[in-house]
Amino acid sequence: MKSIRHIIEYCLARILLLFVDNLPFGISCLVARGAANLWWAFDPRRRKVARDNILRSGIETDPKRALAMARGATQHMALLIVESLRSHQFLTGERFRDHLEINIKPDVLAALENPDQGLIMASGHFGNWEIAAHFLSRYKPVVGITRRMNNPLMEKLVQSRKSSHRFRPIPKRDSNSARFLEVLENKEILALLFDQHAATHNMSIDFFGHPAATFKTVAMLHLVTRAPLCFGACRRIGPLKFEIFTSHLIQCPPSGNKNEDIRSILNQLTQYLEDAIGQAPDQYVWGHRRWRD
Amino acid sequence: MSEKPKADLIVEKLREIMETSATEELDWSNYGPQSTIESLGLDSLTILDLLYDVEQELGVHLEAIDIVSVGNIGEMASLLIDRGA
Repeated sequence: MKSIRHIIEYCLARILLLFVDNLPFGISCLVARGAANLWWAFDPRRRKVARDNILRSGIETDPKRALAMARGATQHMALLIVESLRSHQFLTGERFRDHLEINIKPDVLAALENPDQGLIMASGHFGNWEIAAHFLSRYKPVVGITRRMNNPLMEKLVQSRKSSHRFRPIPKRDSNSARFLEVLENKEILALLFDQHAATHNMSIDFFGHPAATFKTVAMLHLVTRAPLCFGACRRIGPLKFEIFTSHLIQCPPSGNKNEDIRSILNQLTQYLEDAIGQAPDQYVWGHRRWRD
Repeated sequence: MSEKPKADLIVEKLREIMETSATEELDWSNYGPQSTIESLGLDSLTILDLLYDVEQELGVHLEAIDIVSVGNIGEMASLLIDRGA
């Protein structure tokens, strides 16, 4: 029964890919928005979580407008998938210059261009992180955590679409510090999304003024390895147009007070994320349960 | 000071640090240089905590490659001596 479902899912995905690959981009986006609207209509739980999170953040105070923003964020996710699937068409060679506005701080650029240095790029579920990873892989291989799909056919399909650029996934179940250390030792880019609820090894960090359990890993990796660390994100600024931007490198040598060091780093990263979300709140994945109190 | 006592001292120091880093209650008298990191119940993030504490306590910075290759407490002690502890 399960394998039949997997085959049906795979066939539907292939049909969707056929459309995405061959339809004009604008039409693909319309189809994606339609699919997002369907999803929106049939997932009241996620709808409520997203609306409540927006209200809680204070970015929007009117429930109706918050709901509209949450719907926009759902459409953003659908667009993210279409853009990511098409990225090999517009990010290869020099064509990327027509689609990307690059605002990478000089110290981060120096780290990217230094073959003897790895880099920890921290980000959140904001904008199109797949496009960011694709672009950054021009400098060095990018390694990130991905959740393996339950459907092995779909997993194979997804991986085949990612092979065009130097992105190496670490399955979520293997995402331990030793793997991360190897990435940094190989002078690669370790891309981590730090804004998921952390059930263990967490520190409570205010996210839009409300405590959120935040993973300490990204901060500890920087403190222990001294690998350069920055915040980075990719914001959609038009159809197939994106701004890739970073913070300066975060400088935090170990002070001897471990918890204060971790808090300082996570506070800085969270502030950068909040600033990014403030610029384009409908490009944040509000539907995940960041606050769980 | 000969190498052996120094290694013993560092193992002792490591044990002290681990007692504060470990998330589980352990009988530390059963653990020695041959004890693997895994057997101490230190998960991957706790190891990063441990390395931070080692650097602060012993004044030795370990590189990522060193950290990945460490298998047990004795190896870590040797590594720290090599790095000037």
